[in-house]
Amino acid sequence: MKARWELILIPPAVLSAAVLILSQAMFLKGSLHKDLGLGRLSPMMSLHNFLELVADSYYVESLWLSFVCSAAATVATALIALPVAYILARMQSRWAAVLLSAVIIASFITIVIKVLGLLLIFSAEGPFNSTLKWLGLVGSPVAIIGTIPGVVLGLMYYTLGFAVLLFYSVIVTISRSMEEAAEIHGATRWGAIRQVVLPLCLPGLAAGALTVFNVSMGGFSSTALIGGGKVLTLPIIIQRTVIMETNYGLGAAVAVLLLCTVLAINVWSSIILMRTRTGGLV
Amino acid sequence: MSERIPAYRLRRQILAGLILAVAYIIVLGPIVFVCIASFDYGARAYVIFPPERFTLESYWQIPQRYWDALWVSVRLAAVTMVAACAIGIPAAIGVVRGRFAGKRLILTMFRFPLQIPSVVSGVAFLQAYYAVGDWTGWHGVGSFAGLAIAHTFAATPYVVGTMVTALQRFDDSVEEAAVILGASTMGTLWQVTLPMLRPGIFAGALYAFMVSFAEVPMSVFLTGSTLLTFPVEVFNSMQFDFEPTILAISTLVTVVSLFVVWLVQRIVGLDMFVKVGAAD
Repeated sequence: MKARWELILIPPAVLSAAVLILSQAMFLKGSLHKDLGLGRLSPMMSLHNFLELVADSYYVESLWLSFVCSAAATVATALIALPVAYILARMQSRWAAVLLSAVIIASFITIVIKVLGLLLIFSAEGPFNSTLKWLGLVGSPVAIIGTIPGVVLGLMYYTLGFAVLLFYSVIVTISRSMEEAAEIHGATRWGAIRQVVLPLCLPGLAAGALTVFNVSMGGFSSTALIGGGKVLTLPIIIQRTVIMETNYGLGAAVAVLLLCTVLAINVWSSIILMRTRTGGLV
Repeated sequence: MSERIPAYRLRRQILAGLILAVAYIIVLGPIVFVCIASFDYGARAYVIFPPERFTLESYWQIPQRYWDALWVSVRLAAVTMVAACAIGIPAAIGVVRGRFAGKRLILTMFRFPLQIPSVVSGVAFLQAYYAVGDWTGWHGVGSFAGLAIAHTFAATPYVVGTMVTALQRFDDSVEEAAVILGASTMGTLWQVTLPMLRPGIFAGALYAFMVSFAEVPMSVFLTGSTLLTFPVEVFNSMQFDFEPTILAISTLVTVVSLFVVWLVQRIVGLDMFVKVGAAD
């Protein structure tokens, strides 16, 4: 049977390419037009918007803030996701499937509902502050709204679910017998993890961490809700510039800045993976 | 010696159990908390814990606009699911089965929307719809079709991902056997290939549905004042006027989502989901 399978590829490929190129081209072009106010764009093309990005420290600071928040969120996510992924990958009981399935289900719930729960937990009368008060640790309640730690917490919840799946899929490929061999030869459990498992899955974990970082860089909903207009990361600035100020050109230019940053990190992560993994389509 | 091994094991298991317990409290805490708080309805702007009472009051008070938004989201997610499958399934089959140069490039193109932050896609579609509106008079912003196109754009890579995984696991010799035994090309496709790919199709469809159902950033740009999706409605309410009924409707949505995802998992198995998570 010599079916020409590539023929059925043509309609979806043309359609996807058209939508991708049309949408991206439009906004790239938009970023080259100066705003004239009230949502109108100058017909002339110029680099005005990009010059403004460089000239105004507001945007550079926002990029830096996005970096800091995403890096902190990536570390926080990894601290929880890595042990969970490792334990689940090594678990032999049928509970592993139940626990894994709980993570998948949690990652499908919209972040807005999770943030709603976070705001309840960390509200002035919520369980977090009443526990702190009960322990006598704080005088006045600790707030997360409008703070950077709060935004980091929100981003962590945004990426936690799929980070566990991502790390799990890496660790599960490392055969358990490798660790057992190390332990038979006298390594401690922690030694076996550190010297055998970790080096083997480091490229996969590093690429996974970069993906988590990238997703955090684009994190919008949780930052908008928890940041409360005080923590202005790039996605928030894009939304404000476009929707509130109707400066479509400048907003598009900030979006180009975010897109390029994220793509550069992606290329880096692919290089890490490609160095260690050869062959295979995916 | 033989007595010490179980002691080690036990200690490890206790440690592992503790880590898991803490992690799962963190992961599931906010979701569970929304559910608990929804039964503690009161005339105050905050929620206290532990709950003071148990009442279904907030469930009866859910305003019509939440139901409307939920209905918009369900229809949108269903349309997105069908469209993403219609594009993603043939795309994945073509990429895996076809013989042509540049496969990796084509696959990268299909996956590319995953790399674009949703806010950026939101801006991109907003401007593209304005431009298309100037040319043709069709205005995508604030329309159902406009949202559906953007959601399909974001959801299709997930369908392609699950389908590529399913196809790569597929044993070609089963198809060859069907042909040798006299099945036609179409017969093989319908009776052998598609049933074996069913887990990939189901998992991809579920991904597409849930990606659309949970999507906020693009929808914030593309929803008008009259057409709001459920997450955007909740998003707006949380920003401007918090009310306890949000908890009730969110709990209902969570419970239904739980059930649907659990059901699909039962049908297709877990590994389909894990591998796609890795392909993101």
